[in-house]
Amino acid sequence: MFERFSIDHIWLFLMLLTLISAALAETATPGLLTTAAIATIIAIKGRMIIDRFMELATANRHLRFAMRLYFYVIPLLMVMTWAFPEVIARFTRLH
Amino acid sequence: MSEATVSIADTAVDPPRPVAEAAGRIPGNIPIWVGILSEMTEFAMMFIALFIARAHYPELFHAGPLRLNTFAGTLNTLVLLTSSYCVAKAMQAIRRDARRACVRWLWMAVVMGGLYLVIKTWEYHWNSSQGIHTDTDLFFTVYYYTTFNHMLHVGWGSAAVLWAIAGVKMGTFDRENHAGLEAVAVYWHMIDLAWIIIFPLLYVWR
Repeated sequence: MFERFSIDHIWLFLMLLTLISAALAETATPGLLTTAAIATIIAIKGRMIIDRFMELATANRHLRFAMRLYFYVIPLLMVMTWAFPEVIARFTRLH
Repeated sequence: MSEATVSIADTAVDPPRPVAEAAGRIPGNIPIWVGILSEMTEFAMMFIALFIARAHYPELFHAGPLRLNTFAGTLNTLVLLTSSYCVAKAMQAIRRDARRACVRWLWMAVVMGGLYLVIKTWEYHWNSSQGIHTDTDLFFTVYYYTTFNHMLHVGWGSAAVLWAIAGVKMGTFDRENHAGLEAVAVYWHMIDLAWIIIFPLLYVWR
């Protein structure tokens, strides 16, 4: 996905995405769209670091799969927590 | 007797190819990936605990980030990403046998790691001056548990990068032999990966 970019460009993209996140923190209204945007930024940043900095894009496929999966699952759980808090609370109540 | 000797010698010269290797090159070595995957699992448990706590107490998790110092969190994210970039550049340098450049990039990564620790310590002091403590409410308990745990990782990760610098300087790591340096590099990137989830979950997501 990011193979054609140099790691210098990847670093700049990562910095830019961080600043966008900070702007969201200061200005965005809490909501499902904002949550989805934050989750998407996490997924993109994770993929950049995994593929280019860790160099897993061209390395062991099992490690690549596990690491990439992590950055699909956590953002997805984040969106689900926003969308279905009552369901999660019901399933995790101890009494 | 003689046949047995030959058999052992053959095995030593041409060991069977590990199954893991057939799936592609492993950056660093297998033990470091056992550590990385274990620590990613540990952080995943913290994130799941945060999601569950948020589902139960949404009002605390809406209000909590508003009281945190977003500037400190953003600055630390930029610092950690830059440190990861420096480590990636160090790997490029060692592969072209530019050992002095490699050491320079690694020192920059250590400085960034140190800067992260300074900013985080300042942030904890700032929190304290604002009346924010570990027992203020559930959001801040989660915040302190997660960020302090991560801070420890930055501390010993920086020490590992120092060890890698010594290795490059002593000639232990060079163009052909740098698996140990690469193991430190992927571990450092893992610390960065954990933070790029922690930052939005605690500072941005309201």
